[in-house]
Amino acid sequence: MKYAFYPGCVSRGGCPELYTAATKVAARLGIELDELRDVACNGAGVLPKYISDPINARTLAKAERLGETLMTICSTCTGVLRAANLRLKEDPEYREQINRDYLAEEGLQYRGTIEVKHLLWVLFEDYGIDRLKAQIRRPLTGLKVSPFYGCFMRRPPEVVTPAKEDAGRKNYLENLIDAVGAELTDFSGKGKCCGFPILTSNPDNSHAMTAKHTGEAKQKGADCMVTPCPLCHLSLDGQQAEAAKARGTNIDLPILHLPQFVGLALGFSPAELDFKRHMVSTKEVENQVSMLA
Amino acid sequence: MEVTFKVYRKEPGTQTQPGRSDYKIELGKDATVLDGLLKIRDELDGTLAFRASCMRGYCGDCTIRANGKSCFACTTRVSSLTQKSPEITVDPVRNMPVIKDLVSDWDTFLWNKIDRIHPWLEPPGTAANGETIIPDSVMADIRKAMSCYYCGLCDEGCTVLPVDFGFMGPAALTKAYRFVFDPRDTATRERFKYIEESKGLWDCVHCFEASEHCPRGIAPTERIMALRDKAFELGIQNPRAARHHYSFADSIKKSGVLDEGKLAVESEGLTNIRGLVRLLPTAARALRRGKAPIPYIHHKSPGAPQIRRIIEKAEEKHR
Repeated sequence: MKYAFYPGCVSRGGCPELYTAATKVAARLGIELDELRDVACNGAGVLPKYISDPINARTLAKAERLGETLMTICSTCTGVLRAANLRLKEDPEYREQINRDYLAEEGLQYRGTIEVKHLLWVLFEDYGIDRLKAQIRRPLTGLKVSPFYGCFMRRPPEVVTPAKEDAGRKNYLENLIDAVGAELTDFSGKGKCCGFPILTSNPDNSHAMTAKHTGEAKQKGADCMVTPCPLCHLSLDGQQAEAAKARGTNIDLPILHLPQFVGLALGFSPAELDFKRHMVSTKEVENQVSMLA
Repeated sequence: MEVTFKVYRKEPGTQTQPGRSDYKIELGKDATVLDGLLKIRDELDGTLAFRASCMRGYCGDCTIRANGKSCFACTTRVSSLTQKSPEITVDPVRNMPVIKDLVSDWDTFLWNKIDRIHPWLEPPGTAANGETIIPDSVMADIRKAMSCYYCGLCDEGCTVLPVDFGFMGPAALTKAYRFVFDPRDTATRERFKYIEESKGLWDCVHCFEASEHCPRGIAPTERIMALRDKAFELGIQNPRAARHHYSFADSIKKSGVLDEGKLAVESEGLTNIRGLVRLLPTAARALRRGKAPIPYIHHKSPGAPQIRRIIEKAEEKHR
């Protein structure tokens, strides 16, 4: 299995532990990563479409040249790239205009044949959850885990779940928690916004959202939360202390990146998965895991 | 079928805590929630207050929450809610102050916010023949936005309003879209000034909940994103949003990838000492963990020159 790998800016910047964990987990599972190194940030919903669509068409054209499905490790990258891809696939005239105006000069062309998938979807839809289960060396028995998807992995339906058979994507995290032997701590905020998009425009509202979700999961008994989105991680982990302070409380809920969570079940140590880089202490989770080893 | 409606009750002007009243009623198998509420009001309790108008799912007046999910009382069948239990809860919609029982304060919820966007067209003047003709192809999209009947379900689903009731919300911003993208309107810059104010356009988290909740398929979130793109093109007037967005774009233009450290600093403003100080605790924690991106010391994508060329060309086309 080979993918055109789009690691995204945050896994190479603010959350380097995600890149470490993702590449180690992929290697252990035998998923080959053909990293796209000369492509751009997808715009993350910040850049207007008239800028982000041409640069995303370029990224998709690079993946198309490799002939491989583009795999991300970020909910936001997934959603933004898929939305651009949908526009480019659905409207050949628009695609050709972008090819002509922006890509031709570099000798590139996007024909609209590439699929964009998050690692989470790859695990369920391409790799196979039973195959993953067979690789588990450390079932995470007793670990109480809350899922947190990131908006771009939930909505809008025409981008996230365009076909009937995609409906399961809304439950993959819960299914994964079950598959690795951990215990699901469900809560109402798992598909909501983490607050990150307004961290600079309205930090008070952003922190209120972060505190709401992490606080609810913690109150329901979660030992940790798992997310496929590093932007959510920047808020849920990176801003949790500030958010809790604004609420006048302590939360202290460790937030694991998806590949870190899978990595633990595959037998990697917390050190190998770079837990030391987390802002909220992961000590309790590490202690629990060490007793499972 | 026998059903128990557990209805939210609030008495205006009293200190009494809101509660619930239980009503056991007999309804036909095709009855709607509104049929139940009407029966309760007519036969059991004339003090129960709720709104309803067209009774055919067209006016949005009877928006409520049944078993925790927002819906129209007039089109939701009771049988679809009683599969697990013969009891159903009926509550007012979220994010809206309640006046009495299921009747909410629409002035605070929506109308005052729509007022903020100056909801009227400002045409360049009257055409010689008395009317301005616009091709239908141009009006089709505007007409879709105009088909909003203000049921409030997009605001009900909004994830910002529960933490900040002052947020303008998707319904009012969709109304703004209707004017901004109307080719006859001449007040675009002025209108952006209103919608870019604090708690406006830039406070949306683009979570797409509004689109998911809209019963008319108007896609309010996509319209908010289109307003943002337009603001970016015309020149963002909100200083904080402008710093953030143009720093982001500058970063991609220079290196192809995002310089997160630069973005954090420049979003606050290089001379905004208070804002920069506010970043310090998080920056210090990140430094200790070896994950603070250092501003301006940043790797470049090998494709940076091509990416820059594309962005500059796109900007040129939209200047």
